Amino acid sequence: MTRTTTRRASSTVAAATPAPATALSKDSALAGEIKALVVAGRRDAARERFADLVALQQRRAARIAYQYLRDVHDADEAVQDAFVKVFTHIASYREDLPFEVWFTRILVNGCLDLRKARSRRLRWVLPATSSSDAAPREPVAPDAGPEDTLLASERGRHIAAAVAQLPERQRDVFTLCQIGGQSANEVSRALGLSEATVRVHLFRAIRRLRALLEHERK
Amino acid sequence: MRHPHLSDDRLIDVCLDHAPAATEQRHLATCGVCAERRANLARLLNETSTVAVAEADAVFTGERLARQRAHILQRVEQESRQGRLISFPAGQTSSPSLLRARPAARWIAGAAAAGLFIGLLAGHLTHDFTAGRVMPSSLTPSRAASSPASFQAVSTSMSEEEFLGRLEIAIEGTGSSALRPLDDLTPLVWEVAAQ
Repeated sequence: MTRTTTRRASSTVAAATPAPATALSKDSALAGEIKALVVAGRRDAARERFADLVALQQRRAARIAYQYLRDVHDADEAVQDAFVKVFTHIASYREDLPFEVWFTRILVNGCLDLRKARSRRLRWVLPATSSSDAAPREPVAPDAGPEDTLLASERGRHIAAAVAQLPERQRDVFTLCQIGGQSANEVSRALGLSEATVRVHLFRAIRRLRALLEHERK
Repeated sequence: MRHPHLSDDRLIDVCLDHAPAATEQRHLATCGVCAERRANLARLLNETSTVAVAEADAVFTGERLARQRAHILQRVEQESRQGRLISFPAGQTSSPSLLRARPAARWIAGAAAAGLFIGLLAGHLTHDFTAGRVMPSSLTPSRAASSPASFQAVSTSMSEEEFLGRLEIAIEGTGSSALRPLDDLTPLVWEVAAQ
């Protein structure tokens, strides 16, 4: 898979080069540039550059938010809110922190707030219709790729159900590591947990997933 | 010496991009059991992330993402647009120039503010003196002690049954006919108790 390969490649590069902090990622450099424009009072130019930053991070953000919220409308709202917050508070962005980590933290906090608000709403208000909260999935095209084929298969459904069964914290960590493509260290900074705790949750999640899927197979 | 089998945690670590040590690497190359465990774990991780990504991408289509991007940029533009004060009625000059045109207004405003300040100060001082003279300290505890006791007596003397009864009387007393159907629908406490 492309994402895993990229991460593997980057980790190899990081191991080979002693100072990875000095090499800014494209989004971090862009965020720094936007911050400088905002501070200089050139908001129009900053907005134009911000569009590029949104394009860079948007798909990843949507994937993370969808895993957290399991609802396309809520995920959409969370992603929008996170980007608007980023622009509003770009002056407080610290260039020594990777933009991806800062942004993920904002996004995750927004998702958690939305999840809390939704559970509060569900406690008092009956759902309006019996339809599922997710948008209808688009049919897999005849020339669908292997990912779509896997998703549409029985195995794909079992995997999605197993991930959904994970305890909340384990699912959060697993989502950020496996779907967000972040390292344990980055996840620890995004969630405000120690790296050891992140690794414990990740290991438990993987073991649990394996057990659930083996049980399904039997 | 033969290296022992790799633990689950170590295998997960290896699958999560942490390169195995040289001895582990040699063991993985020769031990069929560990190599198979590693392959199974790697497949599981790959499949789970593939499914999750495909699931999200199926709902967040390119069109939806483009719409979302447009919304974000629109909201950002709205947020950064600063508020502007509109003078009302239109065409009227702003207040500083108004004051400049009539310097006497400034004197009047200043005198009014000074008068208000002096009045407030005098009132405050008078109130403090009066309070010190009129309020004997002996009165305060007796009043404070009596009120919670009486409140407690009222609250404990009324049973739940009596309270509900009083509610009924109050409802009948108001004569709110609009609430009657609702009242009819609500089961009475003694009816429920009897059942």
